[in-house]
Amino acid sequence: MLRATALPPVTAPSHDELLADARRGSETAFAALVREHQAMVFGLAYHFLHSHAHAEELAQDVFLALHQNLARVESARHLVFWLRRVTSNRCIDSIRSAQRRRELPIDDAHEPSAAANFPDPMLGDLLRNLVAELAPDARIVVTLRFQEDLDMSEIAAITEMPVNTVKSHLRRSMDALRRKLQDKGHTYES
Amino acid sequence: MNLERQLRRALERKDPAAGFDNRVMSRVATAAGAQPVTRARRNSVVFLPGAASLILAFGAAYYVQQQRSADVASAHTEQAAHDVVLALQIASEKIAAAQAKVEEITRYEPAKNN
Repeated sequence: MLRATALPPVTAPSHDELLADARRGSETAFAALVREHQAMVFGLAYHFLHSHAHAEELAQDVFLALHQNLARVESARHLVFWLRRVTSNRCIDSIRSAQRRRELPIDDAHEPSAAANFPDPMLGDLLRNLVAELAPDARIVVTLRFQEDLDMSEIAAITEMPVNTVKSHLRRSMDALRRKLQDKGHTYES
Repeated sequence: MNLERQLRRALERKDPAAGFDNRVMSRVATAAGAQPVTRARRNSVVFLPGAASLILAFGAAYYVQQQRSADVASAHTEQAAHDVVLALQIASEKIAAAQAKVEEITRYEPAKNN
């Protein structure tokens, strides 16, 4: 009788190995990197832009830029930082150029969203709508803080803002969100 | 209720529509194929018309120069021929005048043999 332990365990390549393979030109490795990080990049873009179509386009642009700049990415850890920074910058640029053209992102808040995982789907949509109303700098700070669970110094490094500015954006945004939620009948602890 | 916890739930990571990796790889392939062509095209768009214009300009300048040289040479030849004809005319007139003088002298000179 053959024992299952006779075969060595199949180990997935580490993130650094994937990056090294992608840098050597492996399309399979690059596609694996895309799958690994697509939820982070698309999520940041979606929560910032509040539009599936705009987020898809922006996320594709970010990965295209990654492919063209793979030589500059030093490690898997640097890759995550690079993706967060480029996505954040492009989100802010996208909103500012849309505002200059007087085009606002298509609000597809009525599309089925992350509601399935949220105990109160209406409240989830309400929070995402309120975050989408914040000013671009404050919005990216809030999105990085709560999607990626980053601390102030990490957000400051990604957004190239002083730490005190990040703290200020976060404090004011939380106050504004609490105030708007209270206006709508929700009460939150400070 | 805790707002921070609710925000973490509302803003959790989100996957794009299925096939996102394929769509990215398709764009990567398109960009990789287009990039060298684009560079070559950009070079040709920028440099070739410039080079062609320069060659045409130099060619035209050379042609005009050659034409002018030919015209000048032709004018010089014509002038030289004209000068030769004039010189011959003058010489001919002088010879004719000298001959007439000689004939006149000869006519009034008594014959030495008589």
